[in-house]
Amino acid sequence: MLRTLAKGIDRFSARLNEVSAAAVVFIMLLTCADVVLRAFDRPIPGTYELVGYFGVVIVAFALAWTSVERGHIAVELLVDRLPRRAQALIEGAGSIVAMALFSSLAWQSQVYARDLMESGDVSLTLGIPTWPFVIVLTFGCVMMAIVLLVDAVRRIKRGILP
Amino acid sequence: MSPTEAGIYGFLILVALMFLKIPVGFVMALVGLGGFAYLVTWDAALQLIAQDFFSVFGSYNLTVIPLFVLMGQVAHHAGISGRLFNAANKFLGHLRGGLAVATIGACAGFSAICGSTSATAATMASVALPQMKKYNYDPALATGVVAAGGSLGILIPPSTIFIIYGILTEQSIGKLFLAGVMPGILMALLFVATIFIWTKFRPELVTPAPRSTFREKIASLAGVIETFILFAAVMGGLFLGIFTPTEAAAVGAFGTILIALAGRNLTWKGFVQALNETTRVSCMILVIVAGATVFGHFLAVTRIPFDVGSWVQGLPLSPNMIMALIIFIYVLMGCLMDSLAMITLTIPIIYPVITSLGFDPIWFGVIIVVVTEMGVITPPVGINVYVVAGVARDVPLHVIFRGALHMLMAQLATALLLILFPQIALWLPQLMH
Repeated sequence: MLRTLAKGIDRFSARLNEVSAAAVVFIMLLTCADVVLRAFDRPIPGTYELVGYFGVVIVAFALAWTSVERGHIAVELLVDRLPRRAQALIEGAGSIVAMALFSSLAWQSQVYARDLMESGDVSLTLGIPTWPFVIVLTFGCVMMAIVLLVDAVRRIKRGILP
Repeated sequence: MSPTEAGIYGFLILVALMFLKIPVGFVMALVGLGGFAYLVTWDAALQLIAQDFFSVFGSYNLTVIPLFVLMGQVAHHAGISGRLFNAANKFLGHLRGGLAVATIGACAGFSAICGSTSATAATMASVALPQMKKYNYDPALATGVVAAGGSLGILIPPSTIFIIYGILTEQSIGKLFLAGVMPGILMALLFVATIFIWTKFRPELVTPAPRSTFREKIASLAGVIETFILFAAVMGGLFLGIFTPTEAAAVGAFGTILIALAGRNLTWKGFVQALNETTRVSCMILVIVAGATVFGHFLAVTRIPFDVGSWVQGLPLSPNMIMALIIFIYVLMGCLMDSLAMITLTIPIIYPVITSLGFDPIWFGVIIVVVTEMGVITPPVGINVYVVAGVARDVPLHVIFRGALHMLMAQLATALLLILFPQIALWLPQLMH
């Protein structure tokens, strides 16, 4: 049961990561187009703000998959020398701590998005509202918290069960 | 508890959590959040992390990171490192230790289109190690040269460390890039000198490779042109002020893709792999930057940066002695910590000290990069050594560290020369106006 769920979450994280990759390609092409068109005095208006907004998409949508791939740099020096069970338990506890961080980040960014929506915050040139991109961050953090929760359960089980 | 004490406890908790294998970016954000809540209020602290994370992820200036990472990744998957090594080998391979010298040359070339030490080390390891093995090069020498040569990735522009330093200290990334060029060439030459001296005393470590013909030499140059064009486009655009760093990176990444496609060197699979690496590495870096931003805001409400500053200024030491001390501390920290975490944590404290002592901020950026380069090859946490070990599975870690430590001499010499002659770093950026 847990295994199927974990697999589904991993796969969904990988899909999200593809969106992140697409966003990288998008900002690359947009910026290049702007550079070329600028030479003909026809710059693309709002390039900077779009690139910034899509920067949020890049990181938020890659968060969960980076965690699945254990891509977030950590100091392994000490823990990797401990017995296997202690390792699993410490890593599990660490995932719970990290989950607390991303849960509060998810909650608080959603509050922040609502504030921005009410105050009507928009970008300078194109007038695109900011709040949907804050919601992107919320979404990324929710996925991240779920991935960390599954990871914690998996590790603690490995630490306790024979 | 006074704000200073809270800051000190914050640091201790930070180090403790880091050693429990919680990712460094998360730890910085957590401790920053807790500390800020303690000194101000929980509400303010929670608002702070949401805004900090959003503003870092959505920063136009920081989008330069995924784009330069993509450029390096595509270059790797398109086999540019192989062609660089081939050319360097045709010209230098017949010298004593020539394959190692050629490896340094190719590392320097690849560094001109890649901004990361571990990516440069990884790509050169897969290209150069099999060749050195074929000619019976000593494993410690072969792997050590690749691990150390890879560290040029962040000194020769583009460079992720310069970008992070520039953003943290509000210095021009273009100037920092230019400041890295001459020290990068200097360090590469000192690496070569180290290889010559090493093999002079221990000639049995290497066997000579055959000399290549003039025709072969000329033919191999074709493989260097692409790198040269890309480097010229990126750095030229920055130097002339045509591009912002993000634009330079976008043009560089797209140019690398186009050149790779034109040469039929990039498969769809390779491109997808490059993109996957790009999102993973960029996400990792930007989470650390966001965590460091939160932690920095906590530090700002403690009195620590101020206290450290006045303490250092009260020391009965000359500025150069203090600089030597700072470098020494960085080298020690670099042994234990990830370079990015080390820089993002220390710069808010060290940078005001540096400027108040009258050191040039651009020059100090170069110093920071050079000490970081030492950090990536010194035990026990030398990321480049682990990367090389991942490719050279038959060579034990301590053997690679032994080889890399020989090359550390060249890095120390570079740092010393930079302190004695700051102009090595500063004359190129001074031309840019």
